[in-house]
Amino acid sequence: MSVLQPPAGPDAAGPVPFLSRLHEWVTTVDHKKIGTMYIVCGIIYLIIAGLEATLMRWQLTWPGMDVLTPEEFNRLFTMHGTTMVFFVGMPILLGSANILIPLMIGARDLAFPRLNAFSFWLFFFGSLLLYFSYFGGQGLYGMGSAPDVGWFAYAPLTERTFSRGHSTDYWILGIFVAGIGSTATAANFIATILGMRCRGMTLMKMPLLVWIMLVDSVIILLALPPLAAAQILLLFDRLLGAHFFDAQAGGSALLWQNLFWFFGHPEVYILILPGFAFVTEIIPVFSRKVIFGYPLMVAATVAIGFISLGVWAHHMFVVGLSPMLNTIFMGSTMLVGVPTGIKMFNWVATMIGGRIRFDTPMLYATGFLCQFLLGGLTGIFLATVPFDWQVSDSYFVVGHFHFVLFGGLVFAILAAVFYWFPKVTGRMMNETLGKWQFWLLVIGFNITFGAMHVSGFLGMPRRVYTYHTDRGWDFWNLLTSLGVIVQILGFALFALNLVHSLFKGKKAGDDPWDAWTLEWSTTSPPPPHNFEEDPVVHSRRPLWDLKHPDDPDWKYE
Amino acid sequence: MTTAPAALAPPEALPQNGIVNGKIGIACMIISEIAFFGTLISAYVFYIGRDINGPYPQEVLDVSIAPLKVLFNSIFLLISSVWIWLAIRSMRKGRMGAFIFWWALTVLCGAEFLVGTGFEWYDMIVNDGVWMGTNLFGSGFYTLVGFHAFHVTMGLFVLTLILILTLLGHVTPKNVEKVDLVSWYWHFVDGIWVVVFFVVYVFGNMPIS
Amino acid sequence: MSTTPPNEKSHGIELPQPTAGPMICAFGLTLMAAGIVTNWIVAVAGFATFVAGAINWFRNANPDSLEMLATPAEEKPTPIVPRPGSVDHLVGDATHRARLPMEIHRYRDGMIGGAIGGVVMAIFAVVWGLISHGSLWYAVNLLAGTLLSGVTDMSMEELRAFHAEGLVVGIIIQLVMSIAVGLLYGVILPIIPRGTLLFAAVIVPLIWSGLTWATISVINPALGAHIEWLAFIASQVAFGITTGWWIIRCGKISTMQNWHYLDRFGFETQGKGGGS
Repeated sequence: MSVLQPPAGPDAAGPVPFLSRLHEWVTTVDHKKIGTMYIVCGIIYLIIAGLEATLMRWQLTWPGMDVLTPEEFNRLFTMHGTTMVFFVGMPILLGSANILIPLMIGARDLAFPRLNAFSFWLFFFGSLLLYFSYFGGQGLYGMGSAPDVGWFAYAPLTERTFSRGHSTDYWILGIFVAGIGSTATAANFIATILGMRCRGMTLMKMPLLVWIMLVDSVIILLALPPLAAAQILLLFDRLLGAHFFDAQAGGSALLWQNLFWFFGHPEVYILILPGFAFVTEIIPVFSRKVIFGYPLMVAATVAIGFISLGVWAHHMFVVGLSPMLNTIFMGSTMLVGVPTGIKMFNWVATMIGGRIRFDTPMLYATGFLCQFLLGGLTGIFLATVPFDWQVSDSYFVVGHFHFVLFGGLVFAILAAVFYWFPKVTGRMMNETLGKWQFWLLVIGFNITFGAMHVSGFLGMPRRVYTYHTDRGWDFWNLLTSLGVIVQILGFALFALNLVHSLFKGKKAGDDPWDAWTLEWSTTSPPPPHNFEEDPVVHSRRPLWDLKHPDDPDWKYE
Repeated sequence: MTTAPAALAPPEALPQNGIVNGKIGIACMIISEIAFFGTLISAYVFYIGRDINGPYPQEVLDVSIAPLKVLFNSIFLLISSVWIWLAIRSMRKGRMGAFIFWWALTVLCGAEFLVGTGFEWYDMIVNDGVWMGTNLFGSGFYTLVGFHAFHVTMGLFVLTLILILTLLGHVTPKNVEKVDLVSWYWHFVDGIWVVVFFVVYVFGNMPIS
Repeated sequence: MSTTPPNEKSHGIELPQPTAGPMICAFGLTLMAAGIVTNWIVAVAGFATFVAGAINWFRNANPDSLEMLATPAEEKPTPIVPRPGSVDHLVGDATHRARLPMEIHRYRDGMIGGAIGGVVMAIFAVVWGLISHGSLWYAVNLLAGTLLSGVTDMSMEELRAFHAEGLVVGIIIQLVMSIAVGLLYGVILPIIPRGTLLFAAVIVPLIWSGLTWATISVINPALGAHIEWLAFIASQVAFGITTGWWIIRCGKISTMQNWHYLDRFGFETQGKGGGS
């Protein structure tokens, strides 16, 4: 086994046959390829879950429509939520971190490249297993069906008595399998960040994206295993007749809520922290200023990581916890607003006085700031117990978390895609299309989810399949659904832009944005070994030092 | 960086090698396992005393020191942590014979624990009629103790694999750092058993007042 | 990048060899999970797949046997060209690392300005109440309605009358709000790039009026029922002009960002330099 095949590359004569290209991708252990596969899968699932949402909005456009049956509607909102969280958010953030962490810290690959491939394939097959439930949910004998218990799968709805067939089991197993992968990736990231930084990169000289991903990985490590454990308890309830969540035998449905949200709320931070990370890298580059308050950003990230593990019961204010518990969790939830506010101010302070260039990445980053601020503020509303009692499980909550996860995370992801696409593919994305898409999305997004806040205030509960015409919700639901059309236009432009730029985009060069972190010092796309020579850094912005030797950063750190 | 002044000496390199990463990786894995077991244990503790029908743990669990009962087995499992530590120490000193002896002893002790657990379970299932679906105690007991036993099995599998590879001559003292990582996992499995034992056999087994 | 002593072995950069092991393992594990909900045979097949993948993985990961040498890329990164003298400084002699704003207003000035503006605004409102409704206490009572629920039910006659608690509550509300808003003015004004007085005198009062318009029926139903918007906005502008003028008049102090940290902590030290 000592004779090694050189990797099939572009130097091979003629176009590489499809099969050998496929073979190259499925056997790869290269962090950049794995990251790309994560992101491509994430975008495919984004389209699927987006279509699921579109179907639901079609059904809710007008009172009493019957586009979908109630059962189909239940499956759709379950699959939409589950897919968006586990198979869109997670893979895109893990994929981006996969590509960026080694490049930013000047390493050749992740600490455990094969484990990394294993994690990706676990996610891939796990997600297929969940979607296989559409065919196999009732067993292979009759019509299949997908899970219909909501993305947080509250007991006792998930018990055998109420959820016949295997659909809930598919939900458990698909997420369980993918979750093993995510946990392993988190360990991989931590080992990479702590052990493989290049010469001179002390912890306090790491790019903030790397810092944030370090904290994010720690949260993943602490929050995903409890979900796996809770899912196993549920699986035992369903398959072996255990009684954990079976109230008739003394079990407790409330325990499921506690266990699920102990995972579920940190999960929200797991998703949004990489969003913060992207924006934190993009805003300084396009403001032509150094990030404001680097140490404070690190401290705020760590603080968010800690606090996020202690706020889960704010999802359970309406179940009747003791007033003391409610107050404690209200306090801890509001506390998260402090480090998040620090970050917000630091971003704005970075922009102030800067020579801002509104290229598409910056446009999306600015959009992120505005949308996320609104979502964060309604989050503070919801943290207040009496307010939460009023609007819990209404469309107000739906509007809130879409402002955070769509207006926040998706805008940050789009900023990241526009920013790092040149590095990964070697070609620029089209600016004009990107700007059209941005404005379509901003308009469509605010119409859709802004209107949801109002219908929530008017008392419309989430997850209803239809509603009567006399509640005053008609107009707001119509508005919500109309906004979807605008968003679809935006995303269609995005798909067009991706495909077009991949083949016809302008050549990017190594450093199209005149940026400062290490990934821009290598070629676009980077070679398999990332760097010809091991980089050496003296400050947080190594490329700044090289570009401006007369005024280098290391003098100030 | 041709213009860098002399004051900017090349910074120190990190001690980059696979074994540091391996240590961090195993530590992360153990942390995630602790989170996993922590959840199972909190569920067990949550359900202590909430059963509405027996058999209750007080009637079923036998904490005497009798052979193949739990206390007896626990001693075997916990002492195996000492054996594996001695094994690694021997390997560090290059004494492979001693390593094989202590390592095999670890495997045997671990196997005894599994066999003992098997007998205990047989006794509970056949004689006392407690299984998953019997009551909350059954659900919690078999889940928690079962998952621990599953981890012991996994550990035993890896330990045996290393034993075989050593006997075949594939493991040499220069692999000691990697083998050491396996011992970390084994110590974790032992450590978590102390907690499980306390929760299931002591705290959850208090006489009903 | 400066050239570093290469810590690779002399023959080049080692990279892990591509392997299908992890994928096969993952597929096996998924099949094992799927076996739970389909048929045990699936799980057995999954286990076999998993073992096959694990063997493949293990052999690939053996450090002695397989490492792939990276083929040097044809395309080399473009060398980074130093651009001396291309750094624009944010403020005069300050560096590009300066934290803006370099100069801020004293918090004290903001609060005093707010208080003065509050008094001017109160005089304006009271005079307006005297002119339009013939009562000194009309505006005071309406303002007190924010905290005193009884005001909502008062008749026009009662609103014109003097209420001691209305006066006390009204003064407290006016003072607290004015000082708080004045403080905000003091903090925000240094950040506004240009048109500071316009911002203070017109834009903020308009935003504040809009906010009031949106929430008044919840916060203060009495005021909401009787409010006259033109007069309200005019009183806000009076506040804005006065407070803004006061704060700008008081001037700025520089922040401590260039101070030595000992000075920032307030230690009396010798020879450390330090700020104003």
